[in-house]
Amino acid sequence: MGARHSQPVSVPEQEEIMAETGFSQANVECLYQRFQVLDKEEKGYLSKSDLEGIGTLAINPIGDRIVGAFFQDGRETADFRTFVQVLAHFRPVEESASSEGVNSRLSKLQFAFQLYDQDKDGKISRAEMLEVLRMMVGIQVTDEQLESITDRTIQEADKDQDGALSFAEFAKSVEKLNIEQKMSLRILK
Amino acid sequence: METTVPGWETVARSCFFLGTSASLLLSVPGVTGLQGSTMLESLEDADFERGMANESDVHAFFSLDYQHVQVPFEITLWIMLASLAKIAFHLFERLPSVVPESCLLIFVGLIMGGIIYGLNDKSPPVMNSDIFFLYLLPPIVLDAGYFMPSRPFFENIGTILLYAVVGTIWNVFGIGFSLYGICQVDTFHLRDISLLHNLLFSSLIAAVDPVAVLSVFEEIHVNEKLHILVFGESLLNDAVSVVLYKLFRAFCEMPSIQTTDVFAGIGSFFVVGIGGVLVGLLFGLIASFTTRFTDNIRVIEPLFVFLYSYLSYLTAEMFHLSGIVAIIACAMGMKRYVEANISLKSHTTIKYFMKMWSSVSDTLIFIFLGVSTIGDNHEWSWPYIFFTIVFCLLWRALGVLVLTFIINRLHVNTVTSKDQFIIAYGGLRGAICFSLVFLLPDFQRKKLFIAATTVVILFTVFVQGTTIRPLVDLLDVTRKQESTPTVGEQIHIRFLDHLLAGIEDISGHWGQYYWKDKLEYLNSKYLQKFLLREYAQPKSSIVLLYEKLERKHAIELAETGQLMYGPSHHPLLHTDKPPTSVIESDSLSLDVVDDIQKILERNLYKTRRTVPAYNRHTLPPGESEPAEHAKQILILRHKNWQMQMNSSDSDHVIKEKGDSGSLDGGTQPGPRLCRSLTAKHPRETPNVKSNRSRSVGFIIPLRQGTPQWMNDQETSKSPISEEK
Repeated sequence: MGARHSQPVSVPEQEEIMAETGFSQANVECLYQRFQVLDKEEKGYLSKSDLEGIGTLAINPIGDRIVGAFFQDGRETADFRTFVQVLAHFRPVEESASSEGVNSRLSKLQFAFQLYDQDKDGKISRAEMLEVLRMMVGIQVTDEQLESITDRTIQEADKDQDGALSFAEFAKSVEKLNIEQKMSLRILK
Repeated sequence: METTVPGWETVARSCFFLGTSASLLLSVPGVTGLQGSTMLESLEDADFERGMANESDVHAFFSLDYQHVQVPFEITLWIMLASLAKIAFHLFERLPSVVPESCLLIFVGLIMGGIIYGLNDKSPPVMNSDIFFLYLLPPIVLDAGYFMPSRPFFENIGTILLYAVVGTIWNVFGIGFSLYGICQVDTFHLRDISLLHNLLFSSLIAAVDPVAVLSVFEEIHVNEKLHILVFGESLLNDAVSVVLYKLFRAFCEMPSIQTTDVFAGIGSFFVVGIGGVLVGLLFGLIASFTTRFTDNIRVIEPLFVFLYSYLSYLTAEMFHLSGIVAIIACAMGMKRYVEANISLKSHTTIKYFMKMWSSVSDTLIFIFLGVSTIGDNHEWSWPYIFFTIVFCLLWRALGVLVLTFIINRLHVNTVTSKDQFIIAYGGLRGAICFSLVFLLPDFQRKKLFIAATTVVILFTVFVQGTTIRPLVDLLDVTRKQESTPTVGEQIHIRFLDHLLAGIEDISGHWGQYYWKDKLEYLNSKYLQKFLLREYAQPKSSIVLLYEKLERKHAIELAETGQLMYGPSHHPLLHTDKPPTSVIESDSLSLDVVDDIQKILERNLYKTRRTVPAYNRHTLPPGESEPAEHAKQILILRHKNWQMQMNSSDSDHVIKEKGDSGSLDGGTQPGPRLCRSLTAKHPRETPNVKSNRSRSVGFIIPLRQGTPQWMNDQETSKSPISEEK
């Protein structure tokens, strides 16, 4: 894995992080090294521009949202703990996992739901859905088409007919998907 | 095509077949002539004189002088045949997906060989090993090396080397010794094949062939890592098989073998491999250096790439090093610098020519393989051939199992059992084995070896090549969706794909940093200054920046934070919401889910993972479509930022500016720059000036822009605020 096994890395709050995220010590150290690489000016925390400076993220259609996930609640900085907490959602699921851990299916879905739901009202409104769709689709698609697609998406999943998707409805609409695999990174095992 | 009457299609296709068969027949005299041309030249002289005599007899207006153009004519006819056959296969859309192209080409070759045999009543020309190694193989390997995605390659280099080196050695000795064991059985009448001969045979049959692997694997869509593993292995095992082959051949001719010779053999392996890499890198370096000076003669730039690569191959072969490894090292080494130095058009030319040549080579190899199969070259022995096939499969499977077991202990990225099956089953043999067997010294059982090699190649290409795809599909045991995904599912799936790709980018790739950083340091300190034309970030011209905004450049620019040129999206604004002429005629009755599905399929941005990096028939798709998408995404993002800037109050803006300490010229100066230039908020301008020097570097070239441009900026500001 890492090339620097010989040097012990002093990771702040290592024990707490390992306990709450379930990462192994080696993984935490690797993540800390990555954190340090991203934090180019060695401030000790990450700002948005640090993450935006990742080239391939900049041309990711939902790159903004992903970066925003690290800076919840209007925060401007992200310390290492936050960094790891977000990434912990993408740990592969163990066989014997309960539905309580931070990398359980439920938790992963909640994370994804948050990315859709920007105003944090617990529902994905039509406008929010439209916004996400607009980000993911090429410029050839007209606004009318986008609106129709959005309507269709909401209509398919909206059971209580309130014109928005609650978390339960969202979870139901993706129940056939293999979320455990789609939202797991092997290297974070 | 769907709108034409079906009748016309069949007519077109049958015309095509007539044309193909006409060229087939036409090339038959060509082939018989080819046979003649490979024979003694005294025959040619005799023909020549006869031709002269004929001409002086009759002053005809129209005379035929075939000997004059014979060789180029025949070569062209063969290439023509190969290309027409290729077109013919692709006319049937379903056929290439069922049967891999290589099978069909061998089949055509077999037919050709049969025709020639029937007409001439003597063996058709055997593919000359020199022609194969010197002319047909290099373009394919160059194409493979040039388009090799370097990140996954170097990430998995340990695994690849392990499979290539240890795996090949394992296979060679395993097959050799087992065949020797079979030969000991008296009933098979094979006693006279010595151990050394068996080892010699196994050394040429054990190696996996890149040409065959490539042609089959591109039709089964496996994940990138698996592809790179098998492919990289097939390229690198050339070094090992070359060494072993030469070693055993030398041993065959030596009266006695001592242990020092064995050690010399092991040593020569390192020499061959590392020497090949060094030769390749040397030529790559020279090529990069040469392209530094070509800005006045752009037209011959592509030529340098090909010449230097070919030279590296020939030089390595000259010193009995591994030519394949050399040419790959050359291509991978020079790619980065050459692409920075040469013009965009040369770039495209190089890629297209490489694809073209490798395509032609590939086709010719398989056709010749088929042709050379027919004939009197074979001696048949059921047990030997049967056991060769069995042992090839068996030892490969065992080797893969053992090696994967070792690898999975060391690595985080495990190779799953499905992957293992594909690696083992995808170990196809091809034309390299075939040529090597013809190069064997003549001894008693050579024809048996030729027969065995032919059968193994045909078996692997036909049987394994055809069945690998259904087997892969069968092994895909993950839940198959019985129904097509709903619209919502489609969107969510794509959303999650993008999310995962983004998280992967954030978490980075572990373990490679040490060497990568060292290499990057070396690169920036020394190599770039030496090899690149002007090492200048595209700060000077905005138009240049916009033109160069290919995907790769976009990534680099984002990383250095240079993205925020306001007017760079200005030309695109006017095409942003295009008039109806650009929109495809999607029906607006979007109550039908089908239409929505189609729109989504066509228009959703693809993630990195779903775009295959290497494709045989076209340029990598990563060049055109995702580049467009990247541009659109960046432009949209910039507009969003603009909108946020415009709509937020100035207090918020000032607070943001003060807070983001690491001002890599990130998001802040850009929009503010535009606004200052629109002279809307004069008090913003002092903020711009007080930014760090890096961002001032942006301002200066912009100010040197023409006033015309600034006027454009003024006029475009209204669309900016109007949008969204």
